[in-house]
Amino acid sequence: MSTPILLEAIGIKKYYGKFAALGGVDLKVRANTVHSVIGPNGAGKTTLFHMLTGTKTVSAGRIVFDGQDVTHVPDHRRVQRGIARSFQVTSLFLSLSVRENLRLAAQGIAPTRAMNCWHEPEGPRSCAETVASVLARLGLESFASVPAGNLSHGQQRRLEVGMALAARPKAIFLDEPTSGMGIDDLEDMKSFIRSLRDEHTVVLIEHNMNIVMDISDTVTVMQQGRVLAEGLPHEIRSDNRVRAAYLGNMITGGKA
Amino acid sequence: MKRQTHLILALVVVLTMPLLMHSGSLASEVLIYGLAAMGCNLLLGFTGLLSFGQGIFFGLGSYTLALTLTRWPLPMPLALILATVMGALGAAIVGWVAIRQKGTYFVMLTLAFAQMFYFIAYTATGLTGGDNGLMDIPRPSITALGRTLWPLTSPWQFYGFVAAIFMAAFWLLLKVSRSTFGRTLLAVRDNEERAAAIGYNLKLLKLQAFVISGAVTGLAGALHAMMTGIAPLSNAEYHTSEMILVMTVIGGTGNLFASVLGSAFYLLLADWLSTLWPRWLLLLGLVLIAVSLWMQRGLWGLGETLWSLVRGKRTRATDKTIEKLVVAASPSGGNGEQA
Repeated sequence: MSTPILLEAIGIKKYYGKFAALGGVDLKVRANTVHSVIGPNGAGKTTLFHMLTGTKTVSAGRIVFDGQDVTHVPDHRRVQRGIARSFQVTSLFLSLSVRENLRLAAQGIAPTRAMNCWHEPEGPRSCAETVASVLARLGLESFASVPAGNLSHGQQRRLEVGMALAARPKAIFLDEPTSGMGIDDLEDMKSFIRSLRDEHTVVLIEHNMNIVMDISDTVTVMQQGRVLAEGLPHEIRSDNRVRAAYLGNMITGGKA
Repeated sequence: MKRQTHLILALVVVLTMPLLMHSGSLASEVLIYGLAAMGCNLLLGFTGLLSFGQGIFFGLGSYTLALTLTRWPLPMPLALILATVMGALGAAIVGWVAIRQKGTYFVMLTLAFAQMFYFIAYTATGLTGGDNGLMDIPRPSITALGRTLWPLTSPWQFYGFVAAIFMAAFWLLLKVSRSTFGRTLLAVRDNEERAAAIGYNLKLLKLQAFVISGAVTGLAGALHAMMTGIAPLSNAEYHTSEMILVMTVIGGTGNLFASVLGSAFYLLLADWLSTLWPRWLLLLGLVLIAVSLWMQRGLWGLGETLWSLVRGKRTRATDKTIEKLVVAASPSGGNGEQA
């Protein structure tokens, strides 16, 4: 039943001076699952996220993705290996149209094309099919020509995830994709993330516990730069260490 | 047609200057600094890089042309090409170091290079003539097979030559700005973090932008030396960088034709103000303050605003007439049209 392991992190450590933000984290993410990493502020979730996507370098440890060691591959080259991510704080090309945002993201898999000083991004260079399919998936077709800066917050959050999708990655890393979202947009985003695992593997960094419990296949709980517990959502919900340690009824949504 | 608007606008400027202006040298200067400002715009307006190093590339172009025409018997077109290549090389070196940092430190690095280059040029008197600069640069006519095709003796003859080069360079830069590369630069300008996250090598993109910018600025420097017959130390000075930057900002960033406007505005205003008052730079400072405070999109932005105001009034008027016609024609009295 279980799918092969797509991503494996072994003994990841990260020091800022003497402070250990990550004190040796092991993580195995199976293909076509939604794997969530949760924990309170300062647990090291975002630091781990940066290590896995290559934004920052590890102090120690190894990262193996799709059978290859990517520990020292810089972030822009991990995209070509099939790793894409969305940001916790919306990060778009605000003066460019929604379509252009997605085109640029789709073109990022073959970045040498961006050095072409002669040809315009037309025809086969326009990534039109990918852009159209992501636009449809995000439900932003009618906003394709609108500058990203003019979208509503919810639409920007969706485009934020769309930027990762446009790279057609094997794994999508989402850093709190629902941050700042209203109740209405929240349910949409949840089912959207759930639907992603048909074609992708999703690593979700999340603060909102309810979202995690509903849509995750595996949940990893972090505390003070280490993994505290890992398991199926219902196991985590009933894990005594997790409950006793710090999450209390926040994680169970008050049901326990 | 709309795609060619900027090319046509540039052509209009090139063709009308001889009709409206007395000095062929001033007209040539407008196009020469227009080239330099476009090079600066590629960095500032398209890539978001504020470079104080443009004077280096301009000076390199001037010195290279002066040296090749006075010391080595190279044909003039080759000297221009060599100056362009030297500008590109200089930019590659400055860029390669400077793009390692962002923001303030990037600007500081370009400034440091500008200062260093000035003092190197000042010290290396054997090569650059130091404080005196290089003088007596010839302006050979364009010849082929021993026949003179295009003499460059009079200022307006030289203007024709500069105009041809300018149009070619403008067309090329327009093409670059619309290419996949140019469009990706806009992404870097908008959001570096995201551009890196979706797979782009920022350093490579910035370096290529630098090289192209340096090439066109070097060419401008070479043409300037040809025009004045000297390659002065002041061409390599920090003030040249500053002037190119000011022209770019006044014209408007992110639009190549705007740089030509900026160059024309700066030089014509300076020409006029300098006859009024020896301290004319002070007045130019006021213009820059006004642009920075109220017209951040520069002269081009101002033109666009005025144009849309004029057109807006017209289209709104026609919209109203159409609305009336629709309301009158619809049987339900217009309510149905709203749904």
